[in-house]
Amino acid sequence: MKKDLPPFPPRLANKLLDSFLRTDLAEEVRGDLEENFYVTLKKKSTTKAQLNYWYQVIHYIRPFALRKSKHHYSNHLDMLQNYFKIGWRNLSKQKMYSSVKIGGFALGIAACLLIALFIRDELSYDLHYPDGDRIYRVVIAYDFKGEKGKDVWFQAPFAKALKDDYPEIEKVGRYNSSELFGAGSNQIRRADETDNTYEDGFIYADQDLLEILQVPMVYGNLKHCLDEPQTLVITKSKADKYFPGENPVGKLMVINNGYLNPFKVGGVINDFPANSHLHCDFIMTMKGVEFGEGEQSYWGATNYPTYIVVREGTDVAQLEKKLSRIIEKYLLPFWLSEGMADAKEASTSAWFELQPVKDIYLKSDGIADPVSHGDIRFVWLFGAIAAFILVIACINFINLSTAKSANRAKEVGLRKTVGSNRSSIINQFLTESLVFSFLSFALGLVIASLLLPFFNMLAAKSLIFPWQEWQLYPIIAIAVIAIGLLAGLYPAFYLSAFKPVNVLKGNVSRGSKNATTRSMLVVFQFTTSITLIIATFIIYRQVDYILNKKVGFDKDQVLVIQGTSTLDKQIKTFKNELTKLSSVKSATISDYLPIKGTKRNGNSFFKEGRSTTDQSVGGQMWRIDYDYIKTMGMKLVDGRNFSEDMRTDSASIIINQAMAKKLELKDPVGQRIMNWQAYNVIGVVENFHFESLRDEIGPLAMILGDDSNIVSVKIGSTDMSSALTSIEAIWKKFSPNQPIRYSFLDESYARMYEDVQRMGRIFISAAVLAIIVACLGLFALSAFMVEQRSKEISIRLVLGASLKSIFNLLTLNFLKLVLISIVIAVPIAWYMMNKWLQDFTYRTEITWDVFVLAGAIGVFIAVLTISYQSIKAGLIKPAENLKMD
Amino acid sequence: MIETKLGEFEEVILLLVGILGEEAYAFNIAQEFESQTGRSVSIGAVHSTLTRLEEKGFLKSEMGDSTAERGGRRKRIYTITAYGRKTLVAARDFKVSLWNQFPDFATGKLNLGIG
Repeated sequence: MKKDLPPFPPRLANKLLDSFLRTDLAEEVRGDLEENFYVTLKKKSTTKAQLNYWYQVIHYIRPFALRKSKHHYSNHLDMLQNYFKIGWRNLSKQKMYSSVKIGGFALGIAACLLIALFIRDELSYDLHYPDGDRIYRVVIAYDFKGEKGKDVWFQAPFAKALKDDYPEIEKVGRYNSSELFGAGSNQIRRADETDNTYEDGFIYADQDLLEILQVPMVYGNLKHCLDEPQTLVITKSKADKYFPGENPVGKLMVINNGYLNPFKVGGVINDFPANSHLHCDFIMTMKGVEFGEGEQSYWGATNYPTYIVVREGTDVAQLEKKLSRIIEKYLLPFWLSEGMADAKEASTSAWFELQPVKDIYLKSDGIADPVSHGDIRFVWLFGAIAAFILVIACINFINLSTAKSANRAKEVGLRKTVGSNRSSIINQFLTESLVFSFLSFALGLVIASLLLPFFNMLAAKSLIFPWQEWQLYPIIAIAVIAIGLLAGLYPAFYLSAFKPVNVLKGNVSRGSKNATTRSMLVVFQFTTSITLIIATFIIYRQVDYILNKKVGFDKDQVLVIQGTSTLDKQIKTFKNELTKLSSVKSATISDYLPIKGTKRNGNSFFKEGRSTTDQSVGGQMWRIDYDYIKTMGMKLVDGRNFSEDMRTDSASIIINQAMAKKLELKDPVGQRIMNWQAYNVIGVVENFHFESLRDEIGPLAMILGDDSNIVSVKIGSTDMSSALTSIEAIWKKFSPNQPIRYSFLDESYARMYEDVQRMGRIFISAAVLAIIVACLGLFALSAFMVEQRSKEISIRLVLGASLKSIFNLLTLNFLKLVLISIVIAVPIAWYMMNKWLQDFTYRTEITWDVFVLAGAIGVFIAVLTISYQSIKAGLIKPAENLKMD
Repeated sequence: MIETKLGEFEEVILLLVGILGEEAYAFNIAQEFESQTGRSVSIGAVHSTLTRLEEKGFLKSEMGDSTAERGGRRKRIYTITAYGRKTLVAARDFKVSLWNQFPDFATGKLNLGIG
């Protein structure tokens, strides 16, 4: 049958033609083309004719023949004005919905803004050095017999070796921040005054280090500020404090009452910016300094973080490799001369890395060093939280817009009937969404700047709003548009798809069409919120666990008096005076305390006589006095404490259980162990935590000694303030020129876990914010649902439904969604938090009650949110709603 | 802005419209162009030029009658305006004057590349 049909022009080509051709040209063009087709057909095959037809159609795609889109002719400005007007009317007509939309959005945006500031600050660290891309910190990495690690401390002569042996290294600089040698905190005063002030932030450094970092000078010459012995560089803020209105260069300062060796101020530098990894206020020169005889050329002690600046064009990867020569040339001979076992093997299992200075702050995971760090994971975590909160806020917007679509459906229908096409309706809704976005941003900016101080506390930062930076404004403008479009896209397409006929006939199923999408979005919101709630609970559990764990010593009611070394020989008398007080149980003099920030060291231990055959056990060796164990509330599990009656105790040692285990001592008491000299083990103390709970308790030994910078006092009475007063009075007697400086052991202990607590605070804020935003949405949605079903509810009431049954009817639906959210959130939260807890060697268990509690909170808050609307619906007078029909 | 100068293709089309008279509509002009020049051209290209010439005022057009081979659709018949005629003449005169100033051509010595 097909064959009998006369050939005709290809339909598809005609369709194409219709899609673009101006309608007023249609007749003549179609006519011409058809005539052409049949003429061609007479001369050529059907296929050729059809191909020719296609050719002709495609050649009609020319500017003159194209249909202009309709709204091209409409007046843009007028329509835009109309969009704004209608948008504004809608906004002000539905105050509740609008405020939920804008308020939720603003909260989300405020959270994002704050977090963006935080991330910006974290990423801005150490970008301010003029030659920053050529500055590196030297890192040593080792993997020796299964012991892996990286650190930044080097031997004193290491810097000189680098400088001498590697021409591609331009400068090498070291610093020393170890309190063992007098860095850290000290008493300082002007040479012409008598009262000391206690200051933090002392370090020793090379002249070259300042030149590498190109520290900006206020007074003095960068090239000659630390190049003479006994010189000191101070920061601007300290210069203002001690030498207000003067140029301090050349003036003298006295550190720790050492008036025989005053320091000459060689220069004043700008304070280190907040986003610098290195912070110090007093830089003492290394020139002419030797910590012990021959220390500066001794290859056996590592105390110096070392920085280099390489010459331009240096291949750093190549240089890293070449640095290994240092080990062979200097370290191996030293180790061999010391008779170290496995020296050869040790020399091949260590290597050097060069860390760019800008990576030090965020990317030092696994590198032990003396500076504080940010955590790149925190940056990610913050970013993720911000994104989630913003998404939740966007969902509110989408949900409310589509839910309320029934109210706009007639408007859309009418607009289409009078000639509006889909794209202009999309434009209209996008414009409205932009208006919302703009208002939300304005409000969000206000909220963010109000919350900034609180946020600074939360994140331990000192951020300020960069109002004066011009880049802020285009970024915000772009964000307003981007977020406005993002949130408005779905509603715009959804609303503009209404068919005028259906809408005007009243056939639009009043917003229920998209109930599934809406439910899914609500589930997403609550899943996020409940996950955050669970995370918060678990973090707080861990904080609680840390703070209340039996740590092996009694940290309560211990007063730690610092800076007692200035008492000099009087310190013993001071201690005796203290113990005479009725409120004081005992007191001890030792710089070593089981909290961070007090003295630490590293020592190698062996069983006696095995130093060349056995592998050493690395551990702490603390110098304590007779009352230490009693004052700290530590428990001896075997043997005895040091005793003043035993003269031989100067060669006695008390070890912890970890040390006994590592040295494989079955019955430790009475055995002998050694590091430089041999000791009698007289006691074993129960393991106590002296490092973070993240790590296992390491080996530790204690001998008698006198380190006199800290006196710890165990207070017996509960009246802390009167005890403090009497202790202060005694201090005044001994040291009238120096104010007493003390802290509490339990507080210092808690401060060690500030990061965990901070994380807890971050999560609790995020959880609260997420739940507020989600609930705002739920509130508005339930209000909408009630409004939509008001007639149904009225009829039910008329027929005798109780308030309870109405309440159930309206609440159950949402409750189901929240329950689904809980089911989804539990495994996600469990997995995430389990991972987080792996960080801690000592950790709490995740128990099921956390999930129940979090779920209950989720349900409770959701029901509370919905119930306002549900109860309101159940209490209306049915006649009110029904009298209209 | 109305262009007054004629392009080569425009000039040919304008002439063809004159030649075809009552039968000057896009399809026919394209056919005539092909048979006169041996070059193929799409109807779209011809139509586009016709529209342009009409905008310039060289042509005017009106809908003519319909025929069966075009599915009963009417055609748009183009006719040259007086202004179009004047422009054509001016274009021809201008070229002739140029040829006349060409010395070798004027004295008949020009090798026109035929032999």
